[in-house]
Amino acid sequence: MIVAHELVKEFKIPERRPGLAGSLATLFTRRHRVVRAVDGVSFEIPAGSRTAYIGANGAGKSTTIKMLTGITTPTAGYCRVRGIEPYRHRQRNARSIGVVFGQRSQLWWDLSVPDSFRILRRIYDIPDPVYRRNLALYRDLLDIDALGTTPVRQLSLGQRMRAEIAASLLHDPAVVFWDEPTIGLDMVLKEAVRELVNHAHRELGTTVVLTSHDIADIAAICDSALVVDRGRVVHQGSIQDLLRSADRRAVLFDHRDPIAPDAACAIVEQGLPGVRATVVDGGRVHVDYPATEFTSRRVLAFLLERFDLADCYAPEPDLEDVLRQIYGQRRDAALREVDAA
Amino acid sequence: MKPPTMRAVRAYLPFATGGLQSLLQYRSMFVITGMTAAAGAAVTVFLWRAVYADTPADGGPGGFTLTGITTYLLVAQVLQVLHTNRVDDEVAAEVYRGDVAVMLVRPVSYPLVRFFASLPVVAANAVLVAVPVLVLFALLVPLTVPRPGDVALFALSTVFSVLIAFCVNLLTGMTGFVTTNTWGVRMVKQSVVAFFAGQLVPIALMPQPLAALARWLPFRGMVDGPLTLLLGRYDGAAGALQVLVQQVGWVLGLGAVCAVLWRAALGRLEVLGG
Repeated sequence: MIVAHELVKEFKIPERRPGLAGSLATLFTRRHRVVRAVDGVSFEIPAGSRTAYIGANGAGKSTTIKMLTGITTPTAGYCRVRGIEPYRHRQRNARSIGVVFGQRSQLWWDLSVPDSFRILRRIYDIPDPVYRRNLALYRDLLDIDALGTTPVRQLSLGQRMRAEIAASLLHDPAVVFWDEPTIGLDMVLKEAVRELVNHAHRELGTTVVLTSHDIADIAAICDSALVVDRGRVVHQGSIQDLLRSADRRAVLFDHRDPIAPDAACAIVEQGLPGVRATVVDGGRVHVDYPATEFTSRRVLAFLLERFDLADCYAPEPDLEDVLRQIYGQRRDAALREVDAA
Repeated sequence: MKPPTMRAVRAYLPFATGGLQSLLQYRSMFVITGMTAAAGAAVTVFLWRAVYADTPADGGPGGFTLTGITTYLLVAQVLQVLHTNRVDDEVAAEVYRGDVAVMLVRPVSYPLVRFFASLPVVAANAVLVAVPVLVLFALLVPLTVPRPGDVALFALSTVFSVLIAFCVNLLTGMTGFVTTNTWGVRMVKQSVVAFFAGQLVPIALMPQPLAALARWLPFRGMVDGPLTLLLGRYDGAAGALQVLVQQVGWVLGLGAVCAVLWRAALGRLEVLGG
């Protein structure tokens, strides 16, 4: 479906020297620094999957999306979307994809959302039944009608995002690329977006590629994750598998025992050596334990035994932490290779 | 840019209608454009009328009579309004802000989108600015009454002049790919066009080498060309044809340059941000 092979994108950035003298110097000499935004990435995304494309800041997520949507041409390597190289056949590719760039609007700034949709309908030559069906769907799920005849420039970020997401799906694209799409959406709308994607996925087998920094977005929309670090795919599989690979987990609890919060922490740390316990707001205790040495069962059993628990929950591991850990391991492995050599 | 087929027109027409809808939200803008154009016309017209005040009836410098030069400068001002299609501003801004990326994810050609989006701007400028200014001055100063045939030639020639202006402005906007200071480029373009098109000074009044240069530049077809036809300052059918052929040549030539440069720019496009 979507294939990238040894994809490379380099940018030439003019070097600016500091200070006024430096600025004057750049008038006469131009030096460029080559920045490798995407460094030989290879991956395959199967048709009909909902994949989160994850990488640390500067991993070239957006640049990769720009190559997959045909906006930029790779410096080396290639990518294909449904067998087409997007940058070679931009317009053909554009017919079968939908795109949301969280930072830019693709609606007409001075027009209302319905007017923008009417223009899109003509551009993509959307058949009447499809157009009507999709509008009805957006009316139900996204409450698009509430946006009325307000020009897009006067909409709130959340309202605009709603319209952007709807616009990207209006022509029943085979693939949608959402680059940080849910900025500004509240929980209810996130759920609605989730439902919209599920619907498109169920009815049309739409493939979704999402980049986001927000684990809630990713968990709400995607079923699989593609983690890229320095140009290499380091994880490809379900989101749950990714989170399960976390090496530290946490439990938070409240208790009714008449002891000082610090004392509670001391009890936990003595009873379970290697565990870190800290007091968080309101006297709640945060227990952080290495998943390799302790099972959740052992930690919870200990807490139930020692404390009169009022409340207890185990949050999902933080995606950022999981990623940091994955990247860290790779760096360690790379260092070991250097040592061995 | 291929000649638009019916399907293409269907796909691109919404950019024109949408553009018109957007424009109509800024009505006061046309009032201001109109006042600017009228003021500009007043300055040049009354200045040149003073220069030509005592010319004999058979024509003064450059073969213009008092009413002839008045008509020339007024219509030149009107043509300039029709050339203000905002393509240079918008392309430069979209390239600079990276918004061009949004256009590129759609199954449309960006130069064609810009062309269709410029049509309502030109039309609105014609109806809301050019006509009122023309009528206002027609009431104030005597103007040449052209022959009907020349009016028809002028109309055709004006269409080509608008197309040349589109290409020139598109090329100006595309400098946004290589420089962030498109404002300076646009200022230079504006001055060069105003001078070599014969809008500030009729080409017939320029010193010989300068006039020769102006005759071989594309800008001549923007103002001097249509006015040559309107005022009947050509040598028979062959002379009229020559003006039109030169314009068409520049439309095709500049169109090809736009297409080639646009392709090249896409190849090395580095969308800013994100």
